[in-house]
Order: sequence, then structure tokens, then C-alpha cells
Amino acid sequence: MQFKQLIGSRRSIRYFQPYRAVEREKIQTILEAARIASQAVNSNWAKAIVVNRDDLSEEDRTALKTPTTTAQLDLAPTWIFWYGDTTAPSVGQTTLKQLVDVGALNPSHGWSHAYVDNIIWTQVLTPIMSDPGTLAVVTAVEAGIAICQALLMAVDLGLGTGINAFNGAKASEVLGVPAHLIPLWVQLLGYPAESPDAGGQRPRQPFEELYFEGRYGKTFERDKNVVKQLESEGMLQPQAPQPWRKDEVRALARMFGLPE
Amino acid sequence: MTTDEVANFATVRQWLEAYSSHWNRAAEAAEQQRKLDLLRRYCELAGRDPDALVANLFRQTPTGTKIWMKRRRTEMARIDEFETLIAEGDQRAGREAGNAVRSFFIHNGVALTATPLR
Repeated sequence: MQFKQLIGSRRSIRYFQPYRAVEREKIQTILEAARIASQAVNSNWAKAIVVNRDDLSEEDRTALKTPTTTAQLDLAPTWIFWYGDTTAPSVGQTTLKQLVDVGALNPSHGWSHAYVDNIIWTQVLTPIMSDPGTLAVVTAVEAGIAICQALLMAVDLGLGTGINAFNGAKASEVLGVPAHLIPLWVQLLGYPAESPDAGGQRPRQPFEELYFEGRYGKTFERDKNVVKQLESEGMLQPQAPQPWRKDEVRALARMFGLPE
Repeated sequence: MTTDEVANFATVRQWLEAYSSHWNRAAEAAEQQRKLDLLRRYCELAGRDPDALVANLFRQTPTGTKIWMKRRRTEMARIDEFETLIAEGDQRAGREAGNAVRSFFIHNGVALTATPLR
């Protein structure tokens, strides 16, 4: 799939073919995509635990659900529990110097081993690590970038996917998660039972209310020709709901015995 | 309590209105009557009328309305029990009955769902 179309085609899928397993190589490909995402201090902030739904006991499966994720967790055959690793910056002194050595952070931009050791480590990373609020924000943002790549890769592989809340405390027990990992999302994977476009692109706040130019409040002008081009390339797609969407959802609910 | 009486409770009117508004269609008369009868039977099982069933799951807090999690779990377990009672070996019939009750709660703002049949 072309990149623009891929971005435009991603949806949060909530109805999966429960009987169709996800190929292991596809799961690995998704994890590989996350691993090479842009990451501050070149450390891997996102950690993941892949779980096959049917390998869990009924009791554990139930414990991991929230009231509104019950159905999709039961339908998706593969779950990836994503965590943010709050210890990621602790290797920053080493990983940043690696970036200097491989020519990513260069003297042309002021970088050196000495700068990493004497300034970045002591004045930036150490304070971040000692401030839980800042650490949580940075961890969540950095892990989120990796999760985004995992989502897009899943779509590229023809899978349905979406991120959902889960019971973090229970997951820690069931999956043996150490305390320094912050529970973020469970990414569900499977083959969609609903149409892949899931009734159309979701409504979003108008472009003009989100992006500014020069200063806050001065709208970044949206060029209609660019919009037209992106529509022709499949990034901007018909907005939900498509006229048939509620009938589709109703049919799916009945097929899976879910409430209406 | 008759099905006509059930239909007059505020939470039942809310359910039927929200259902038709969401799905852009009202349930057919026979289907609606069947659902009301199922809700009536559920009320008998629970020993509460529809408004009391919903009210039992909400609590007021200084930051707004919240759902009693433990009570919801109890209610979900009772719906499962109701399904089994109605099913008499027909899983789909039991599920349809349970889902009528779940739909009543959902359209009154109580988030819950069922385990998919797969």
C-alpha cells in the first residue's frame, strides 16, 4: 500500500475474525517497525509483550478486560501489551555517545562525548529521571511513537488493529511485568470481520482549529488543492458514517451475539 | 408487574428512544413486546423495577456520577444467569434474552457487553 493511502486507511478495528490466527512473521514485522521508530536518546522506551488470546486461561482473560473492551479482546486472536520503560533514559549516556560515534549527532551541531557526559547526562537526563511527572510524559510520548509505527505496519500487512485500554494492575500480575514499566495500551491484531474502512474516516476537529502559523491562533491556511490531491491519493477518505455502517454493525452484533 | 407497566418506567422509555435513535429504526412491535417481557422477567429475577435496577448502579460523587464497579459485576453475572435460565439448551435464545437486558442498561449509560459467541 502506498504510504499516504496507508495512513488514510488506518482505523481502530473492533470486530475481528476470531478463528483466524495472525501469522507469527507478521507479528515480528510489527515489532520490528516499532523498534526502529524515532526515539529520544536513542533508547527503546517501548516494551511489548505479545500474547495469544487462546493461550490465556479464562480467568486471566477475564481479569485483563475492561467493561468496553470485553468484546474486542475476545475477538482478536493476538494482543500486544505495550509498556513505557521509565528506565530507558538510564542508558542515555551510552546510547547518545553511540549516536556521536556513528555520525548521527555530530560536532557540526555541537555534539561530543564530553557534552554528553558533562551536560546532557547531568543537566538533562538525570533531572528527567528524578522527576516522575516529566519522566512519565516523556516515556509515554516516546513509546507512543513506536506504537504508532506498529499500528501502521499492521495495516500495511492487511491486518485489523487498534489500541485499547486494559487493566494494568491485573496485567502486571498475569504477565509478570516489572514496576518500572508503565502500562500504556493493548494493541489488538487480527483479520477484520468488519469492512476494513470500518464505515469511513472518523470525524476530526477542523484542520484550521488545530494548526497555526507564526503564533498561536493564526490559522495555518489549508490549501484546497492539497486536500484534493490527498483525496485522490487515498489519504483523505470519505468521512464516517457511511450510509450502510449501522446496518453492518447491527449484523456483526447479531453474528457474534453482542448487545445492540 | 405487566409488560405495559414495565414500558412506563422512565429508564425503559429512555432505552426504547435511545435504541431507535441510535439504530435509526424502532424495534418492530412484536420484537419490542418480546424485549419488554424479557426485561419484566429479569426484574422479577433481580427483585427490582427497571428504574431501581439502573439507579442501583450509579452513585453521586463530588466529581460527578460514577458507576459502582462491584455492583455492575454483580449485575453482569446476574444477566449471565438469566441467559442460562432462558436458554434451556438454546444458546442463541439465551443470548438474545441477555442482550435485551444488556441493551436496556447500555442505553441508560451503563457500559457493559457480552462475551462474543465464537
